[in-house]
Amino acid sequence: MNPQLLARVGAAGCLAASGVIHAQLYLTGYRSIPGIGSAFLLQASGSFAVALLLLLSSAAVLRLAAAALAAGAMMGFIASRTVGVLGFVEYGLLPAPQALISVLVEATALGLLAVALHDRRSARFAGGGRGARPPRDVLAQPAD
Amino acid sequence: MHQRARNGRAGSGSIIMRQFTTSLALPAVAAGIGLLAGVAIAVGIVTSPTAAAPQAAGSAPTVVERAMPGMAMPPAGSPTAASGQDAPVATNAVSIQNFAFSPAIVTVKAGTTITWTNRDQDSHTVTAMPGGPFHSPTLNTAQSYQYTFTTPGRFDYLCTIHPFMTATVVVTP
Amino acid sequence: MTTPSDTEGGPAGMSRRQLLRHTAWFGAAVVLTVTGGEVISHLGTPPAAAISDDPHALRFVQISDSHLGFHGPANTDVTGSFRRAIDQVNTLGFRPDFVMHTGDLTHLSTPAQFDQVRQMLGGLRTGAVFTVPGEHDSVDDHGQKYRATFGAGSHGDGWYSFDVKGVHVIALVNTLALERLGHLGTDQLDFVRKDVAGLPSDTPIVVFSHIPLFAMYPTWGWGTDDATQALSYLRRFSSVTCLNGHVHQLFTKTDGNVTFYSATTTAYPLPHPGVGPGPIPVTLPAGQLGAALGIRDVTYQSGQHALAIRDRRLA
Repeated sequence: MNPQLLARVGAAGCLAASGVIHAQLYLTGYRSIPGIGSAFLLQASGSFAVALLLLLSSAAVLRLAAAALAAGAMMGFIASRTVGVLGFVEYGLLPAPQALISVLVEATALGLLAVALHDRRSARFAGGGRGARPPRDVLAQPAD
Repeated sequence: MHQRARNGRAGSGSIIMRQFTTSLALPAVAAGIGLLAGVAIAVGIVTSPTAAAPQAAGSAPTVVERAMPGMAMPPAGSPTAASGQDAPVATNAVSIQNFAFSPAIVTVKAGTTITWTNRDQDSHTVTAMPGGPFHSPTLNTAQSYQYTFTTPGRFDYLCTIHPFMTATVVVTP
Repeated sequence: MTTPSDTEGGPAGMSRRQLLRHTAWFGAAVVLTVTGGEVISHLGTPPAAAISDDPHALRFVQISDSHLGFHGPANTDVTGSFRRAIDQVNTLGFRPDFVMHTGDLTHLSTPAQFDQVRQMLGGLRTGAVFTVPGEHDSVDDHGQKYRATFGAGSHGDGWYSFDVKGVHVIALVNTLALERLGHLGTDQLDFVRKDVAGLPSDTPIVVFSHIPLFAMYPTWGWGTDDATQALSYLRRFSSVTCLNGHVHQLFTKTDGNVTFYSATTTAYPLPHPGVGPGPIPVTLPAGQLGAALGIRDVTYQSGQHALAIRDRRLA
């Protein structure tokens, strides 16, 4: 299993774990919180769907969706502990341990997605015959 | 011919793909770092007030109406005495203001009468914790309660209506 | 098959084929998301029709912290708010098996306030009305006036339990200790231990108390110092639901087999934990108070694992 695939499968696993936590919290009470319940449900089912598809394909749209789900969940976490989300506020790392675990797996998912991206590009530069320029130059290029 | 066309397509596809992935890489990494920092800040923001004992915040010591010069301060043995605002104060007047007893710790000699005055809009009580000798009726706005301390010791009390409001009287011989 | 547009990059830097491929994956993700959402949202929730048709389903209402007698800018008409809450319960569309008021019925425990709240609770159309005391109901008499008004059939300082439609309900008193935190005491802990001793472990347990039985924010007294002991007697039960008031805001926490739900109030909001110097009534901008107040209805259908909790804003 090459590192790129490994990172992608890892990201899928982390995303699924985040989905499990959100689904569990949804079922054990968050479903009754207006707005937040729907957001948890969407996060959970979206994470399951994208995690599953990410095992099948490395399509950019899937990696983008995975990153958006993980980042969105983390932004919700931050917002709920600072400015609030639709009037819903929580404190610190409660509910424990779900809050901490979900933030960790979401951060790991984002990290692995970035690694997969980086490896994919490096591999192409190394093996694709277009590797005259080191990846750093490409990174420094304007994206569009 | 067909083969060449396929190769050509694959080639241009990979270039486009690379541009596409490159355009994603920077935001993804940046978002990841930003989010981690945000989480750290959010958790920090939330945990710091917990540690800082909000009980003392917002209850700046009011002007001591009748200071008792020459009164010896007791040793700062109580857990709350560490905070500057909760340092023992020698006075016989305690104000109940902004849902807090102020000053939160007073020190008096045995035989002193302490007067509590409710300066809040809401009602309060002055009630010794279990085993303690004094308990006021409900004090409405501007009402006062007096109690004369005859025996030396440390007396913790609270407001039964708002039990988070706690304070202490230290009586010296 | 090879057309010029397949090989040339589109305006967005993507070939049509790639666009199609991405669209297909995106579509698959959306379809799977919707399917997954349907599956998850139906886990543990029976169809609404099944509940209303099921005479064995337990439905009850929790109201809390009416603070009758409170005067302040945070709510200039707590009586009117409480009356609206009672009207809302009476127009839910079903007759709850019981209504539980989780404390701070009155603001200052005066006989007139107790009389008023007793009369108003009498207007509820429900099978039974239960209460637990809040610290505002025992301001100056260790809860004597409260027990004289609402204490019939209770033990000790006002605790009791009962069974309804297969659910065991325990109502606890944790507001009489004259301490910063809530406290149950050895007599009440003994009561809980003996009360559940003979129950099968699959009996759903519902526990009511005024102060939370979990450490929501101990600095403000939002916790009960000996709740762990009480909860240890309930560890073997598969489903334990603890419903409390006191904090005037919705909050949920799960700890193993126990789920805690703090209810909101019908009187005035309190700040979120740690915001500001203390749990002091919050005056909201005009027109926003109703959204902070509310009632809660709870459904339990036999065979389900968890209770379905629904919080409603004050209508």
